[in-house]
Amino acid sequence: MLKYISKNALLLATAAAACVLLVASVNQLTAPKIAEQIELEKLKLLQEVLPAGAASAELLQDCLVLQQPTVLFQNDAKTYRWRQNGELRAYVIETTAPDGYSGNIQLLAAITPDGTVLGVRTLSHKETPGLGDKIEMRKSSWMDSFRQKKLQSADDRRFAVKKDGGQFDQFTGATITPRAVVAAVKRTALYLKQHPELADLPANCQLQ
Amino acid sequence: MSFRIASSPHHHSQQHTSVLMRSVVLACLPGIACQVYFFGYGVLIQLLLAIVTAWASEAFILRLREKPVLPRLKDHSAMLTAVLLAVSIPAFAPWWLIVFGTAFAIIIVKQLYGGLGHNLFNPAMAAYVFLLVSFPQQMTSWLPPLSLQAQPQQWLDPVCAVFTDFSCAGYSLTQLKTDIDGMTMATPLDTVKTDLAGGKTLTESMQQQVFEQFGGVGWNYVNLAFLLGGLWLLQQKVIQWRIPFAVLGSLALCSFIGYLIDPDLHASPVFHLLSGGTMLAAFFIATDPVSASTTLRGRLYYGALIGLLIYLIRSFGGFPDAVAFAVMLANLTVPLIDYYTRPRTYGHKPKGSY
Amino acid sequence: MTDYRDIIRQGLWQNNPGLVQLLGLCPLLATSSTMTNALGLGFATMLVLLSTNLVVSLIRSQVPNEIRIPIFVMVIAAVVTAIEQLMQAYTYQLYQSLGIFIPLIVTNCIVIGRAEAFASKNPLLPSAVDGLMMGLGFTAVLLLLGTCREILGQGTLFDGAEALFGPWATVLRVELFKTDSHFLLAILPPGAFMVLGFLIAAKNAIDLRQKNRQVQPATITRARVTHVATSETSSQ
Repeated sequence: MLKYISKNALLLATAAAACVLLVASVNQLTAPKIAEQIELEKLKLLQEVLPAGAASAELLQDCLVLQQPTVLFQNDAKTYRWRQNGELRAYVIETTAPDGYSGNIQLLAAITPDGTVLGVRTLSHKETPGLGDKIEMRKSSWMDSFRQKKLQSADDRRFAVKKDGGQFDQFTGATITPRAVVAAVKRTALYLKQHPELADLPANCQLQ
Repeated sequence: MSFRIASSPHHHSQQHTSVLMRSVVLACLPGIACQVYFFGYGVLIQLLLAIVTAWASEAFILRLREKPVLPRLKDHSAMLTAVLLAVSIPAFAPWWLIVFGTAFAIIIVKQLYGGLGHNLFNPAMAAYVFLLVSFPQQMTSWLPPLSLQAQPQQWLDPVCAVFTDFSCAGYSLTQLKTDIDGMTMATPLDTVKTDLAGGKTLTESMQQQVFEQFGGVGWNYVNLAFLLGGLWLLQQKVIQWRIPFAVLGSLALCSFIGYLIDPDLHASPVFHLLSGGTMLAAFFIATDPVSASTTLRGRLYYGALIGLLIYLIRSFGGFPDAVAFAVMLANLTVPLIDYYTRPRTYGHKPKGSY
Repeated sequence: MTDYRDIIRQGLWQNNPGLVQLLGLCPLLATSSTMTNALGLGFATMLVLLSTNLVVSLIRSQVPNEIRIPIFVMVIAAVVTAIEQLMQAYTYQLYQSLGIFIPLIVTNCIVIGRAEAFASKNPLLPSAVDGLMMGLGFTAVLLLLGTCREILGQGTLFDGAEALFGPWATVLRVELFKTDSHFLLAILPPGAFMVLGFLIAAKNAIDLRQKNRQVQPATITRARVTHVATSETSSQ
């Protein structure tokens, strides 16, 4: 009886060992490739909001984690700093619009230190399909209306949707979503404008 | 016929399905007239399209199922579904929307479940949800009442809009929705929701011109007209008081609690009762004998659930009005409600008295 | 002698995992919004089924009855994890759009179902054919569902195929018609349920018609249908 049980236990252990061996070796084999893919994906995203050819491996290194839950409405907001010839050209910053129609809208924005928006993309959202989801580039090019828009000051009236007297279109059937996105971009741009010291802080992102 | 009777003893009701259905359609007339008065006669075009589509799809599918066609058409149930859907969708919605929706209601929601008396969901409301989820933009394009439109509505405009998406003068729906100051106007429920999300208080929101003393312009009278029709149905004993009472009571109670907590963030009970499709839902949709609860106590629970859901979805959901979602969700709970509220069979002891 | 034709027919039609056994509905409905996603998950599932059936059949005589289930589960989990990592390395975009449903293949009942019902009782080759055919049947249903939903929902075929096949595949994309307002329901989960319902109905109708045709020559006036393919099994 005891022999029988120990035989089964041994068999199970052997099977487990074999499975672990398989998973571990596949992991060893694919790990570098996966890391490379993740990096590529990140660069691709950064490249979306920056001028052509701006995203590079150095950009990923030059990264700052910001804790500004009252401005960016998220913790651990990663901010990449794009420099050319040592001069800071723009921040690529993760930010969140907390007041979407159904919850948070996470954004990635490239903004110069003087408050000019280079590009904005939506990272994730829960807006109503067909109405608020025009903030996805797959559905509409509305996000491109941010390009080269400059925030002059905190009370810049033009940085708002048309319904509120600004320059950004709202969508048919949805005002809340674009309003939330515009407000988040404005808030972020203002924050970057008012904090020039961010350019010289040491990079502190945990590299995976 | 498929008119369900709760349980024995069976009183013989003199009312046949067709008479009941016809009365319900008739009772919709004040509401429809009111819609025509405030929003133009677009709703009549929608009604016509809906009824024709409903008859055609009913005849088509009955023939496919090798059932007699004429007797079923004469029971007016398809027409009622068509009417309820037509009054729920925007008057200027494109023609294919109502055709698509009505065909879906009759063919899939009603006939594929086994025909009148077997459908789990209220066909009109299931079709409404189907349309809203599929085409949210068209389904939320309500024009403001006639008195507030910047472009005076021309005689043929509803026809042009329904069939070509543009008014006869070539204005798009978005342009028609714009008022004199160049602001886009939405329905009162939508306006409140947008403003609250934008950080305004209700008092500020209510300053806008789509509102008047109580409720939104036009919408309040449309709701009152449906209330009138509903009271007539009660008086005619076509429907019973329990479901409408429970729907309105629970919606009023929920909104009253919200209003007490913070009148700047939660609309008043009067606003909730007279907005959107509240009265239509309470008297005409929730009372659908097929998809509602069949026990007396169950109907109270069923109605109260609808009222609660309307309030919750209006306040926290992703779409401005919630009547259709509330009714469909409540439809789902009907078998459970019926199971737990079965009346004691005559001669048996009540539960737990053994 | 194993009847391979029967195994093939079982997998593709009579006992189709998607239409008859209704196993693995959760990934089936969730990932069939486009043809690319459908094919991606279909291939992954097929690969898992083939590998696990092979391994299980190979070790079936060594594994005592009492511990066969834990061993099967371990084998399946290991194979799925390996495939997940491979997909992450070589088809990263697809891996992202399929998301949680790749690791969820572990819980797909067809995999353990075939291992237990077929591979643990049959030799290597029939087990491999069974795994392949069940996988193929599942993929076919997924692809059909994905095709219907993609056409209805966005009027295209093979949108985003480059995520699966590489950059050259953008030429596969066909735009059938262009609409301003997408038929959203087809892309959302309820649409998946409805289309699947119609597919099952169509399969039953075809079976019924065939049955009736077979009965007719024998001059029986009353056609009695005893096997309308239905199944009470539900998925996770």
